[in-house]
Amino acid sequence: MSIELEEIAEFLKQHHPFALLPDEEINALPKRLTARYFRAGTKVLSPEEQCLHLYIIRTGGTETRDPDGQLLARLSEGECFGVRAMFRNGKAANNITTLEDSLCYLLPEKDFHELAGKYPQFKYFFAQMGGDRLRSGMQLIESRDDDQLKLMSIKVADLIARDLVSIDKSATILEAGKLMSKERVSCLLITEGADEIAGIMTDRDLRNRVVAQGRSYDEPVTEIMTANPISVHPDDYAFDALLTMTRHNVRHLPVMKDGKAVGMITTNNLLARQSLSAVYMAGRIGKLTNPADMAKVIEQVPELLSHLIEAGATSQNAGHIVTTLSDAATVRLLQLAEEKLGPPPVPYVWMAGGSQGRQEQTALSDQDNCLIIDDTYDPEQHGAWFKALADFVCDGLNTVGYVFCPGEMMAKTDQWRQPVRVWQQYFNKWIEQPEPKALMLCSVWFDLRPIHGTKSLFDNLHRLIVSKARDNRIFQAYMVGNALTHHVPLGFFKNFVMIRGGEHDRTLDLKHNGVVPIVDIARIHALANGVEAVNTFERLHAIKPLPSISTQGASDLLDAFEFISITRLKHQVRQIRRGDAPDNFLHPESLSAFERSHLKDAFSVIKNLQGALEHAFGKSGT
Amino acid sequence: MGLRQKIFDSQLYRDFIQRKATGPLRRYYDIPPADPARSVMETEFIALDLETTGLDPKRDEIVSLGWVIIRQLGVDFASCEHILVRPRGELRESSVVVHRIFDSDVADAPDIATALEHLLPQMAGRVLISHHAPIELGFLGQACKRCFGAPLQIPTVDTLVLALRDLHRSGQPMKSGALKLDNLRRSHNLPPFRAHNALSDAIAASGLFLAQIAKRDPKGELELNRILR
Repeated sequence: MSIELEEIAEFLKQHHPFALLPDEEINALPKRLTARYFRAGTKVLSPEEQCLHLYIIRTGGTETRDPDGQLLARLSEGECFGVRAMFRNGKAANNITTLEDSLCYLLPEKDFHELAGKYPQFKYFFAQMGGDRLRSGMQLIESRDDDQLKLMSIKVADLIARDLVSIDKSATILEAGKLMSKERVSCLLITEGADEIAGIMTDRDLRNRVVAQGRSYDEPVTEIMTANPISVHPDDYAFDALLTMTRHNVRHLPVMKDGKAVGMITTNNLLARQSLSAVYMAGRIGKLTNPADMAKVIEQVPELLSHLIEAGATSQNAGHIVTTLSDAATVRLLQLAEEKLGPPPVPYVWMAGGSQGRQEQTALSDQDNCLIIDDTYDPEQHGAWFKALADFVCDGLNTVGYVFCPGEMMAKTDQWRQPVRVWQQYFNKWIEQPEPKALMLCSVWFDLRPIHGTKSLFDNLHRLIVSKARDNRIFQAYMVGNALTHHVPLGFFKNFVMIRGGEHDRTLDLKHNGVVPIVDIARIHALANGVEAVNTFERLHAIKPLPSISTQGASDLLDAFEFISITRLKHQVRQIRRGDAPDNFLHPESLSAFERSHLKDAFSVIKNLQGALEHAFGKSGT
Repeated sequence: MGLRQKIFDSQLYRDFIQRKATGPLRRYYDIPPADPARSVMETEFIALDLETTGLDPKRDEIVSLGWVIIRQLGVDFASCEHILVRPRGELRESSVVVHRIFDSDVADAPDIATALEHLLPQMAGRVLISHHAPIELGFLGQACKRCFGAPLQIPTVDTLVLALRDLHRSGQPMKSGALKLDNLRRSHNLPPFRAHNALSDAIAASGLFLAQIAKRDPKGELELNRILR
């Protein structure tokens, strides 16, 4: 190869995905290229126009807009366009316009497909741009990780190891014992008729209720079985099944579907699994009697998080598990408070808001909570009891490790410890007379989840919130105005815009510029569509088929959310491993080029959907 | 353009020299030249550069040739060629310093007649692109006369001349070195190139040419005769 073509090869070697190709392949590439030059402002491609090449930008920059004129991407040196055309029989999908005078290298479609066929990593990179690319990239990253079983992603149905062993309720204890021995099981299902469940009998029952009590083996099994056992559904998460076992101190759970037993799971199925420690931690918290001791358990959350992430948990898994522990601490503190203060004078429900409400907590979380009290509440008479309860729990949580909310969004604050009717007034005001600042502060109250107490108190209020928010376009526009105050850290040419100066110089704030914007987008779509879920993943799944967001947009956002969240968690895990306090400020250089490129994709997905949000709902108040 | 040059570029003169040409040059002239009334998009170009033992076409010789073809205003890298030429005499030290081609490099290289036999079919029907064309035209013309009995006629675009016109039009004072290939490329946001040999210069000129055309007419509907020398 001549030296000047070597220069082109050198250029290609510096840019993904060409950098992923073996040298001999890159060296052969320049001979297949054509160079073309476009003045700034030239429309290079239009939708449906024939495009038989992949365009690689050598110098200059371009802008990609969809057929409706929506900005999709800005590309610069080393990036490619015309990718969609490669997968649509040479028909361009979008408008491409040069922003600067640009020199492009054109790779023929035929050669593109030849490379894609030969090199999966090359194909992965292009498996369409944006969301799809993010998705396949994540698979690539995930597959590299330790492929341990992920309890959070496993359904109970996946754990049913063998056919159910059951015996009719007319059998004797002896017959049941013989069957267990023959089948080598520790648990028998006692059935009535075809598949009606009468109860469950375990080897522990044989020991405790037969041998220890000197019972006759000829008695019917119904005498020693546990009738109406707690059961789980095949679609439940294995993690929740384990939690149920710990809570009820049982080691076997029948799996029921449509009133029929379909299998049995035992602690043995789950014991070796990763999240076990979380379950033990939750169980342990439930037995402790003071916040200082609980703090020692919660101290291990960062370590737990590291294990989870290293085992390949998704951010949704990790958020769920970590939140379970703050829920456990909250519930335990409420129990302790009630023991101390006596039973509640009127019914109440303790609510979690913000990330705890959404079940998206990470290694560092403050507390957002409130109290909703029955309308029979009389401040004169009951005020002191509830104040004492709230102080006990909030102070306790602070001791445990969930520090006071800087915005005082806590039950400890008088304003957030109110009967249902006052909460109704609050929500009426927020929704019907929105004020930008007030809305910004109270967004945590649109992510409420009941934790403990009379949960029905929340139901009416929730219905009110959901129906009012769905109908009020002005409120929605204000929420959009708020959401758009969080900017994605991407510059004009899709480069990262980092924090400058100060303690976090040259970093990206993954929370406020990555996670929060997606949470905001999901919340607005959910509220506008009457979706009751508060978890961001659940919200996005729920709105996916609805017209307010494109299905593609929702899928892309789900992937972007997972990618940014997991990047943030991995960043925190690295800090924990180094012995530093975890934070949200990431130096992009700490990522591989591959991860950086995906992070950019994720940010540009957010940027697009923020634009779409403004388009769909309007924007007010900022 | 002077009258003399107009005559040399005319069809009449072409018909005249075609009859005198022999061998590959004869076959070159069998193919009609590029139509100056067609658009640049429809025209094929050959960007060419050569290195010589000196600046006088009558006395000095070509030692290397590099070219690349431009179709539909795209530089086709598959067409790149670079050939060394064995001169009749020994290489002089003064020229070796410039082009760094040594006697040993060209010992097995084809002579100029063989090189032209390879090049002429590439030039037929196409338009020559060169940065400061008199050098290329002078040397190729001399070589053709010597080897195949007639001078070379080819429609030519001189990127240096186009750059000069742009500069005059802009009305800005000319800075020293403004017409150097490197600086012109930079002014069009083209990547820097390392001047290694005839091919690298030909490729560099081809990129500059694309930029100069895009500046005049992004769609390439411009008629060829508007940019010919």
